Amino acid sequence: MDLNDKIEKILEKVQKAPRYTGGEMNTEVKGWDECPLHFGFCFPDTYEVGMSHLGMKILYGLINRESWSLCERFFMPWTDMIALMEEEQLPLLSMESRHPLNAFDVIGFTLQYEMSFSNILAMLKMGGVPLESSERGETDPIVVAGGPCAFNPEPLADFIDAFMIGDGEDVMTELNHVILERKEKGLSREECLKKLAGLEGVYVPSLYDVTYNEDGTVAAVTPNCAEAPSTVRKRVVVDLNNTYYPEEFPVPYTEVIFDRIMLEIMRGCTRGCRFCQAGILYRPVRERSMEKLIDLAEKLLNSTGYEEISLSSLSSGDYSCLPELIRELMKRMKEKRVSISLPSLRIDSVLKESLEETQQVRKTSLTFAPEAGTQRMRDVINKGVTEEDLLGKVRDAFEGGWSSVKLYFMSGLPTETTEDLDGIADLARKVIAEYFNVPKTQRAKGLRVTVSVSVFVPKPFTPFQWAAQDTLEAIIAKQEHLRQVLNIKGVTFHWHEPYVSFLEACFARGDRRMGSVLKCAFEKGCILDGWNETFRYDLWMEAFRDCGLDPAFYAHRARTKEEVLPWDHIDSGVTKQFLWHEKEKSERAETTKDCRKGCNGCGLQRWKGVCSYANAGSV
Amino acid sequence: MRMLAVFEKGERIRHIGHLDIQRSVQRGLRRSGLPVAYSNGFNPHILITFASALSTGACGTREIMDVTMAEEVSEEEFLERMNRAMPQDMQLSEARAVDQKHPALMASLRAAAYDLLIRDREMAEKLKAAIPSMMAKETVTAMRKTKTALKECDIKPLIYELKGEGQHILATMVLTEREACKPGMLIEALGKEAGIDEEIRMLVTRTGLLGMDPEGRLIPLERL
Repeated sequence: MDLNDKIEKILEKVQKAPRYTGGEMNTEVKGWDECPLHFGFCFPDTYEVGMSHLGMKILYGLINRESWSLCERFFMPWTDMIALMEEEQLPLLSMESRHPLNAFDVIGFTLQYEMSFSNILAMLKMGGVPLESSERGETDPIVVAGGPCAFNPEPLADFIDAFMIGDGEDVMTELNHVILERKEKGLSREECLKKLAGLEGVYVPSLYDVTYNEDGTVAAVTPNCAEAPSTVRKRVVVDLNNTYYPEEFPVPYTEVIFDRIMLEIMRGCTRGCRFCQAGILYRPVRERSMEKLIDLAEKLLNSTGYEEISLSSLSSGDYSCLPELIRELMKRMKEKRVSISLPSLRIDSVLKESLEETQQVRKTSLTFAPEAGTQRMRDVINKGVTEEDLLGKVRDAFEGGWSSVKLYFMSGLPTETTEDLDGIADLARKVIAEYFNVPKTQRAKGLRVTVSVSVFVPKPFTPFQWAAQDTLEAIIAKQEHLRQVLNIKGVTFHWHEPYVSFLEACFARGDRRMGSVLKCAFEKGCILDGWNETFRYDLWMEAFRDCGLDPAFYAHRARTKEEVLPWDHIDSGVTKQFLWHEKEKSERAETTKDCRKGCNGCGLQRWKGVCSYANAGSV
Repeated sequence: MRMLAVFEKGERIRHIGHLDIQRSVQRGLRRSGLPVAYSNGFNPHILITFASALSTGACGTREIMDVTMAEEVSEEEFLERMNRAMPQDMQLSEARAVDQKHPALMASLRAAAYDLLIRDREMAEKLKAAIPSMMAKETVTAMRKTKTALKECDIKPLIYELKGEGQHILATMVLTEREACKPGMLIEALGKEAGIDEEIRMLVTRTGLLGMDPEGRLIPLERL
């Protein structure tokens, strides 16, 4: 049986076959032989998740735009497909030309969340690529990775040859040039990696040695060759208007999670919430101009045929001319019957006026993220939102005809008490009261308040990077308490699996030794850990035992100021000193102002011309 | 005016379901910039119907869409703009402008032509050999899947034409809003006749949707 026959045979048996068949509108099939450089872009989760990811669309377009490089997509197959592929001895194949993963010159993983790490190993194995960097030879691909989890690259250091830290648009092409050179000039693997280490924002873990103290903490991470810089500084694209953005997106045949145009209106956030890693990693704030956005929106609508456009960023409500942008988009899109959604709506910034404009086309449920139930707790996390702010916006929404509201909270934040948990229920009650305050004739029917409480995971490069995560016992007790106090008519309560958050915490702040746990768990059968039906907590705990490591050391231990953190050799732009200062302020429930109201001296002011709010004189 | 257009559902995308095909056509129409008509109401949608839903897993070479236009457009322009806007596996081959009063496609549908590629060569030979004896029978029973159960039914009166050609079985069978003989039912009955116990793997291609002219002849639906 030839390859295509085998594929056809398993496609007849597999569930959701379209996630493996490709051919979507705007997907490129460039001539394999005409392009010297072959980039395999791997999203380490299912097709439906991967096709919802904006970063992939940007890099896919950016690489395919060059005449000398092609980019094809790979996704993590579901368990039924994995079994069928094993049966037929089929390797992991690209969506476009059906080439196996190991036929590509460079393989790039995007690291969006820790619970996708085991899928990276699974995809490499299915693709015929040696798992560990040290096992790869001269004919094997170079394996790279980027995205938010690349900022603490250590848990993946054994498996990834080079990490790209920060914004990918510029460094991607530079990296591809080096890989092309490897191919054309016959650079050895080692020469190629050393050359990559010379690019700004690229971290090649094999060029660094890690030593440990007796207590298991990191003693030092030291370069072992002249080519490797002692700290790797993240890449920043300063001017978004002159940075590549695709004018067409692949349009899946089947429904994916975010099945619409994503228009990135800005990058970064000035709020300084202390739990938020993205708020630090994506600093500074950069906006795309209204002219550019309107031009992109029209081109994307014409090339995709999508009926919905979402304005995306960490904090869309902060975009400087949001009402004008929405008004202008509405005006132009009305004839095309396009609806506009604002996904990460901040409760203190969107004008009532723009709310009214969005519902002109379609009304969906509104999401608010107060994050914590009491003002004290919100001050600890520097969520600059008051109860009056929230209730005011909720009132506006109910008066505007919405009846469905989602409220997002976190539990397990540093200094949290029972009072803070009860505050969540109080807030939910007050939201309900606002609904009933609107005269019956003026409000929409069917009040629905959804309260989602996630488990706090301390992340690197945040003021809480030194904090201990709650133990499982504490989390479970808190969830039980929440379940009781949130037993309110009209309220639906959702909570997160504590076991997943515990493991996430281990990887988020893990060191290089976590690589052995990952490999061991993968060998025991752990894959697709982000999915309830496939997550195997028992096997993960076995893997920790087999490797002689204690998960509590990573998750439940508070770090000292002096401790060398496993990611200290990565420079996010924000200094450790600033983060410590923020940690101390949080303990006193002191807030820090929004950067737009004056520079707080986070560290970015050291990089000339990068942050428009930076004040060089600030500390 | 309405535009009846013949399009393909290619082999690569044969596992896409009907709802997704519908949405893809709608997005294609939006990309094309053609002046299509929208429904009124809170969530306006493009006024479009399809002559018949094609099963998941089946290819189609002559599927038919029926699009209501807001303005007059020539058949050539419709084809040209749609083919630029549709993916490779969903290209259009014909378009015919009809009057608003033209009968609904679904109501005129009488039959469909199928090309069934039998994956196993030996099985194909056995199946072909069994055609004459099966067609000589008074009744041919097959199992029809309903939403809740399997029902026995006689498919003999539902078969207009059945023949073998190389590794293919070519069949023309009844397809209306009320009754239909599906390729799976036919092959199940033919397999039984041929004494085949194993699963018969095949590639189904629907090659035509047919209506009936005043003389009682089956002709392509889009020409009716």
